[in-house]
Amino acid sequence: MARASTTIECATNARAAPPPLSTGQQMVRNLFGSVTDTVITIICAVVLVWLAYHVIDWAFISSVWRAEDEPLCREASGACWSVIDARHRIILFGLFPYEEHWRSALACLVIIVTVIASCFSWFWTVKRLAPLWITGFALFYLLMHGGLFGLSVITPERWGGLALTIFIFASVSLIGMPLSVLLALGRRSRLPVIARLVGLLIDLVRSLPLLTILFAAAVITPFVMPGWLQGDKLYRVIAGFALFFACYQAENIRAGLQSISTGQDEAGLTLGMSYWHRVGYIQLPQAFRNALPSIINQFVITFKETSIVTIVGFFEVLASGHAAYGTGEWTPHYIEVYVFIGLIYFIFVFLLSRYGAYLEKRLRVGHG
Amino acid sequence: MAESSTTGNARSGVAAVSMQSVNKWFDQFHVLKDINLNVSVGEKIVICGPSGSGKSTLIRCICKLEDHQQGVIEVLGTELNEDVANIDEIRSEVGMVFQHFNLFPHMTVLENCTIALKLVRRKSQREAEAIAMSYLDKVRIPEQANKYPGELSGGQQQRVAIARSLCMNPEIMLFDEPTSALDPEMISEVLDVMVSLAEEGMTMLCVTHEMGFARRVADRVIFMDEGEIVEQNDPGTFFENPVNERTKLFLSQILHH
Repeated sequence: MARASTTIECATNARAAPPPLSTGQQMVRNLFGSVTDTVITIICAVVLVWLAYHVIDWAFISSVWRAEDEPLCREASGACWSVIDARHRIILFGLFPYEEHWRSALACLVIIVTVIASCFSWFWTVKRLAPLWITGFALFYLLMHGGLFGLSVITPERWGGLALTIFIFASVSLIGMPLSVLLALGRRSRLPVIARLVGLLIDLVRSLPLLTILFAAAVITPFVMPGWLQGDKLYRVIAGFALFFACYQAENIRAGLQSISTGQDEAGLTLGMSYWHRVGYIQLPQAFRNALPSIINQFVITFKETSIVTIVGFFEVLASGHAAYGTGEWTPHYIEVYVFIGLIYFIFVFLLSRYGAYLEKRLRVGHG
Repeated sequence: MAESSTTGNARSGVAAVSMQSVNKWFDQFHVLKDINLNVSVGEKIVICGPSGSGKSTLIRCICKLEDHQQGVIEVLGTELNEDVANIDEIRSEVGMVFQHFNLFPHMTVLENCTIALKLVRRKSQREAEAIAMSYLDKVRIPEQANKYPGELSGGQQQRVAIARSLCMNPEIMLFDEPTSALDPEMISEVLDVMVSLAEEGMTMLCVTHEMGFARRVADRVIFMDEGEIVEQNDPGTFFENPVNERTKLFLSQILHH
């Protein structure tokens, strides 16, 4: 009752808030507020329009599109997209045998569907996520490697292009994420031996460049490890990459864990919850929410860093692009190829960022 | 509820909490000095004292949130030592309510109450929700079941925290300054819940400065200072005729401001 009467009192004194400025009104105010503002705005607008006109002209109006029109490229002032039409298969699939490209394409699709499916919260339990990923990866491997159901065997050194980039990224994330959680928990362990050892491992790996780790995985491990433990070079490189990823991600997750008050864990303790229950239901959900921007950031960095595997002899999408314009008539058109590859990176990273933004909104539920 | 009364009867001969010469240090700081305390089943104890006197540490030792270095603590006849099975058993008998509620912010009120029932007590979703709703009813907040803690007032959050503890059907409830973080107008709604809990015969140890509450429900009021139990008595005697000078000073400070 007391509350009701105060609201009525407020209502009698309250005035309606002035209507907020529309975006258009705000822009006019910001861009044309004074003479100087107006002049700067006009100059910038002219430059922007001029740039936009040239880019559009280059990319769309004066450009050549079809592979067989390649001779026209020499006269055209715009982009020569013929190179993409002619060579896109190399960019997407690398050295994979031409007549088996459908397998590589389907394999990519399988991984992309798996990733998209696991972005839905329905899958966010180990019971659902584990079978999804195991099926996804098994299908990918079957399609790429073959050897069953009459599919010819294609060994990993002939995998390439976008398919390889996606495979490396997905494997590194898949192995690296659980590992990073374990490392983060290990570094916070109450047992000093574990905490120190894990801390040492993380600091050691972080103090080495990724390049060194990939080199070590690809070139040095065959000399130190017994043959049966080595596996293919690709898997060694993925293992090294995953360790590198996990050490960085572990620090992000640790930051998330540290931002939770100790009272949360104490509440779990007094309710009789076990360590893994407290970790899984109380600490990690809050840690992920708190550290989400840096966690997504690490994924974005990792996606782009996959291009470094070129150094140890893998033809991921960037190296394949290099090969695509490397022959005869296409050499002048490297800009078009790099724009195309840039677009591929942009699509993936942009989707990743949007997903991060969606997650942030979703996980903020109940946090005001 | 039937379950709790039978276990209660079986243990009627045993002290709820017994502490013998308990000592505790934080590094070199001696926080608990030779604490001897016996609490019988059904008894309500209020512990007060200036800040830093060790009163929170004392009740945190009872549910093993803090380790003690010397002496013996027994809860319902089970000794609190490094034996993990004992710790688990004691934690399942003892509920704790914190000053800052410590509700899980990423779960709804109902999920806060059902999580331990499902994970620790292995109840089905439906059973757990039925139990949780009955206790949310008891703290008069069932209509907030599907909200998140962040959407509730402090008093409502603390009542949810009490319900969450009660869901585990504890024999003993510990309260660590349950109203100290609340705005003044919300204190009474929490105290009302605690009073009705006391009237049902719950064994309670409350660290609080709510002297009205102490007068109304406490069987014994304990005054602690510098890690020692300085004085303990029934509330009437404690408030009207305190013996120790430190008690008199403390009471004059909190009662006449």
